[in-house]
Amino acid sequence: MRLPKFDYHQPTTIEEAVAALAGSPGARLLAGGTDLLVNMKLRVDLPQTLVGLDRIPGLRGSTQADGRTVMGAKTTLKDIQNDPVLLERYPALVQAARAVGSYRHQTMGTLGGNLCQNTRCRFFNQSQEWRSVRSLCYKAGGEDCHVMNKKGVCYSTYSGDVAPALLVLDARVRLQGPDGGREIPLAEIYSGEGKSPLALGPSEVVTAVVLPENSANGRSCYLKQGLRGSIDFPIVGAAVARFDGGLRVAYTAVDRSPVRAAEVEAELEGRELTGELIDKVAPLCRKAATVTRTTTQPVPYKRELMAALFRKAARTLV
Amino acid sequence: MKQLNVVGRRLPQHDAAAKAMGQAQFTDDLRLPGMLYGRLVRSTIPHGNILHIDTSAALALPGVKGVLTGKDIPDRVYGIVPKAKDEHALARDKVRYIGDEVAAVVAVDPETAEEAARLVRVEYEELPAVFDPLEAIKEGAPVIHDRHPDNTSVRIHKQFGDVEAGFAASAYVFEDSFYSQAVNHAPLEPHAALASYDPQHGDFTIWTSTQIPYFLKRNLATTMGVPENKVRVIKPKVGGGFGQKLDMFAKDFCACWFARELSRPVKFVYEREEVFQNTRQRHPMYLTVKTGVNKQGKILAQHITAHADGGAYNSTAPLMITLSAFFVMIPYKIDNLIYEGYHVYTNKPVGGAMRGHGVPQPRFAIERQVDLIAKRIGVDPVKMRLLNAIKAGEPHPAGFVINTCGFAESVAAAAEAIGWEEKRGKLPFGRGIGVAGSAWPSGVANMAHLSSGAVVELFREGRVNVLSGAADIGQGAETVICQIVAERLGVPLEDVHITAADTGTCPLDAGTFGSGVTVRAGNAALSAANDVRDQLFPFVADHLHCDLEDLAAADRRIFVKGEPERGMSLKEALKEYQYSDQPVPIVGRGAWVPPADQPTDLLTENGNFAPNYSFMTQAAEVEVDTDTGKVRVLRMVTAHDCGQPINPMLVEGQLDGSMVGGMGQALYEDSTCIDGQQHNPSFLDYGFPTVLEMPNMQDIHIDTDDPLGPFGAKEAGEGTQLAPAPAIVNAIADAIGVEFDRLPVTPAMVLEALKKKADVEKADVPEEGGV
Amino acid sequence: MAQKQILELTVNGDLYEIACEPNITLLEALREKALLTGTKRGCDLGACGACTVLLDGEAVLACLTLALEAQDREVTTIEGLARNGEMTPLQQAFVDYGAIQCGFCSPGFIMSATAMLADDPSPSQQEIRRRLAGNLCRCTGYAKILKAVEAVVEARARVSAPAGGAL
Ligand SMILES: Cc1cc2nc3c(=O)[nH]c(=O)nc-3n(C[C@H](O)[C@H](O)[C@H](O)COP(=O)(O)OP(=O)(O)OC[C@H]3O[C@@H](n4cnc5c(N)ncnc54)[C@H](O)[C@@H]3O)c2cc1C
Ligand code: FES
Ligand code: FES
Repeated sequence: MRLPKFDYHQPTTIEEAVAALAGSPGARLLAGGTDLLVNMKLRVDLPQTLVGLDRIPGLRGSTQADGRTVMGAKTTLKDIQNDPVLLERYPALVQAARAVGSYRHQTMGTLGGNLCQNTRCRFFNQSQEWRSVRSLCYKAGGEDCHVMNKKGVCYSTYSGDVAPALLVLDARVRLQGPDGGREIPLAEIYSGEGKSPLALGPSEVVTAVVLPENSANGRSCYLKQGLRGSIDFPIVGAAVARFDGGLRVAYTAVDRSPVRAAEVEAELEGRELTGELIDKVAPLCRKAATVTRTTTQPVPYKRELMAALFRKAARTLV
Repeated sequence: MKQLNVVGRRLPQHDAAAKAMGQAQFTDDLRLPGMLYGRLVRSTIPHGNILHIDTSAALALPGVKGVLTGKDIPDRVYGIVPKAKDEHALARDKVRYIGDEVAAVVAVDPETAEEAARLVRVEYEELPAVFDPLEAIKEGAPVIHDRHPDNTSVRIHKQFGDVEAGFAASAYVFEDSFYSQAVNHAPLEPHAALASYDPQHGDFTIWTSTQIPYFLKRNLATTMGVPENKVRVIKPKVGGGFGQKLDMFAKDFCACWFARELSRPVKFVYEREEVFQNTRQRHPMYLTVKTGVNKQGKILAQHITAHADGGAYNSTAPLMITLSAFFVMIPYKIDNLIYEGYHVYTNKPVGGAMRGHGVPQPRFAIERQVDLIAKRIGVDPVKMRLLNAIKAGEPHPAGFVINTCGFAESVAAAAEAIGWEEKRGKLPFGRGIGVAGSAWPSGVANMAHLSSGAVVELFREGRVNVLSGAADIGQGAETVICQIVAERLGVPLEDVHITAADTGTCPLDAGTFGSGVTVRAGNAALSAANDVRDQLFPFVADHLHCDLEDLAAADRRIFVKGEPERGMSLKEALKEYQYSDQPVPIVGRGAWVPPADQPTDLLTENGNFAPNYSFMTQAAEVEVDTDTGKVRVLRMVTAHDCGQPINPMLVEGQLDGSMVGGMGQALYEDSTCIDGQQHNPSFLDYGFPTVLEMPNMQDIHIDTDDPLGPFGAKEAGEGTQLAPAPAIVNAIADAIGVEFDRLPVTPAMVLEALKKKADVEKADVPEEGGV
Repeated sequence: MAQKQILELTVNGDLYEIACEPNITLLEALREKALLTGTKRGCDLGACGACTVLLDGEAVLACLTLALEAQDREVTTIEGLARNGEMTPLQQAFVDYGAIQCGFCSPGFIMSATAMLADDPSPSQQEIRRRLAGNLCRCTGYAKILKAVEAVVEARARVSAPAGGAL
């Protein structure tokens, strides 16, 4: 399957990258390419211009300063696994990086690309030929949602592995745009909409992810359930982190964005974490998201998995 | 014990180094000067009449060299089984499933071809469609092919003994239903074809990813309307087939057609998605098995009803359903048996041959039912299998001649290796073991066009050149043939050079299917090598003043048996031979047809199906994660009677691949459809097992020595894929007490079943139940 | 839209000048322009590993890499491993242990394993599995592939073990 045609820029600074994005509407950043290029081949994403990040120095690797860990957006998922500091401080992050696709995707895939990857749906992530059997779906530029049999809605599912781990670790992201830089909580880059899942400005670039040095005091865990042990996107992925006075819980592959299980967290707040309590609270997990049938997996199964993975992950922190 | 030097040894495939270095050439690796690139346009509806095809926009695209539609080609149907032909290379009036080929384009590069294909506009009149074989056979269902108003294109009804009497005599009769899903072969190499045309002589040459070159040649000639001798099919390296590369496909026809039209070479390569949707798949099958047993579990009668979902076309339908029927007759001895099978059209992707062709489905049903019955009547499933095991030399209801049979031994060996006595029913909840057995032919004996030929030339200095029609698709057929020849002529494997599967230079061969290559093409090569010996060895016997029968050949020498020093080197012998004006070249000719005095139509008659039969048992140990429903296969054992292995390393490769393939079918793989459209036509979504899923595997060789196989060999390519799935599902039943009756057993199914089971158990003890 | 440009690609130490538009992948450049067909196209969508090549020593999927991204970097393909016709120990082990059946997956597996062993000379079996799980094989059931890689790891361990050291 050939890539559609596009113009290609290889800027050497962030400023140039932002300018290139601003200069051509519909332009997209290209990092590892393992999400974007697939979508372009399938022709669900047709940017006129690609702005490659590969020639911009200083965006890869992590540093510690002022009680914070800063990871460049081009840090690969393999880099994350090989960083002993990250493993000690943020086990959930490393576990999530190890869970993405196959080792090849971890070698090529970047932190920024993983967080900013497109949402997925069984009617969307298909070739143009395959999709031509039905009307164009809402996300691909048409009107219909074939999952819900409705117009003007999209429940395509965010399925990145790393985001839930970072959510429970209180991550913030640094953005660079035409008007300068800003730093916001990770949750705020997600719009919660299936059609355009990112809440970034049109020419904003994620430059780094920032974590508090002592986030969860090293007590966190990410568990993924895929059909196979490699390659596959999560059926459900669950991250938990234990803070003083409570537990944070987040999911991926269950909704249009990665979600925190607020009700579960509230239930656990201030209570001593025991196996019993975990079992008692687990059923609440099923309601933490609007699960729809965007994959071949039945919705009730996904809900069960939300509870099961919570139980397993939380138990590791007792 | 036979004294062998090359046969029986663990030798790498003769072309393994070329493959390891990236030098091996597959069809898509070939290019010819001036080559053009083709692409197919496919139906976007499951069922309908073609009203109009607008090719103008495609033709207007710069770089496009031609567009072809079904109306432009001769009205000739094709198909692998002559009497079941029902396919056009491009649909003429009607499309019958999503992805049916309606047009083809060629252009100067692949990118332009891809764009052009998207510009072809097809207008349809949609017809109602049907997606389930049990719906398709109902009165009033949409008719997919006019020739078969009930959508049933093949039916088979085999009856042996007195089934009613058998049921009447049974202590118990059980009836259970099962479903086996659509499985894709998913060979790593996508299908491809490259054709060129010589306008001066009207000759076509096509390099194509096929496992059956001579049948393809015939199908191409018929559909193109040219004599067969105008088509030369060359099989380059083929990246796996498993039965999927058995048929002619639109790419083959269109490449040839455009090559002639444009007098330029044309290449077609399928996308992975096309491999999934638009080639072939294992037939989904609904099965009902009614079995009568005595108190000990001896099967007294069995009645099997099978509805195969054929999809839109026949492909191998009659052969598939025949195999399906005949191979429920082994490995158990069942004197009273009925098999009723139906091949039903639906508006879905097309079923075809796949490793174990038509048999894994009934095997799943029967092997599951054996375990169910054993449980119900309180006998041990392994003992029940042993009790019913067929034995060599026994009269067979369908007329099979079973010269060697290691089935009972295989059951015992597999059971022991998996730890049957210690583990069955005794492992902690969530862990379990299971077994299942099967049998398979080494090729099909009594159907037309099933001979193999070979030519062996013994060249100066001892180089051996072999011509064989056999199609190596990665299993190592060429290596095995070379080993056989090397053994007979007493040379090391590296002295033997093979040219195979080129219909322009090699002798006729039936092709790679039915696991018949080693026995059929191997015997042909053996007989050609013997012919070479017959020419050279009398001369050497004279020279050495010994009896011809006393001569042996090994290590590039010919010598008197038992007196290795009394002999001469092969090189010397050839030199002497030539210098005494004996006729050169020394060329041996060999042919082999399975002995077949039986009828050639097994659909309606019975007889010995194959030259010989292999037998095997698989055992599995599984672990079920009761929180997530995920099943892990920890261990798989296969005990296989493949006669004398020509190359044990290659045999193990076949067994390992079959076990993991069978595990995929048990737990992972399912080509599902929504409204007739395949849901998961990608490696990502189809998800066959990776190395992380690979269980610990053990291959046990059950020793038999077959009189008909070359050096005592039987098949090893397909049989082992028949029973891993039931063995695994039987193990799941042992682990969690849930009896699954459909494939694949997904984590979602497991979790749901566990929940139901817990609910039932709760309900069973009301006095304790609080909620 | 984008004009053709001249891409300079260094593959196995040889320089190739390729006229192409930006939308050509490294896989297409290798197979169709440099005519190095040892690298295989199994899915074209990043899900099988058949197209694995080394980019500055790191194993990447050529079907999801733009040819332009490989400019100014060292590309190594399966054709570039053997020196003067002599296979690397890994290639030799694939041959000797029967890890190759149809051979379509083999180049990708060998490139992945080559990168792995450069990173980590003594991976555990579980680690070998994890790192090779992105490469699909439909023929072998993986057992002999795993064995071949393990054999190389073991042979290396023997060589690097101090003389007289425990084996
Ligand atoms: C077969 C297969 C299996 C996969 N399995 C998984 C899986 O299990 N889990 C999983 O999480 N992912 C999976 N992926 C998706 C993908 O490989 C990973 O998410 C990867 O981390 C994406 O990173 P990348 O650098 O390759 O992203 P790219 O493809 O380069 O980019 C993805 C998106 O993010 C945007 N982007 C990239 N960098 C930035 C930035 N710095 N600022 C703003 N926007 C940016 C791009 O414009 C693009 O829209 C899989 C992919 C394939 C092909
Ligand atoms: S061809 Fe690149 S991963 Fe399959
Ligand atoms: S050897 Fe055929 S796919 Fe691996």
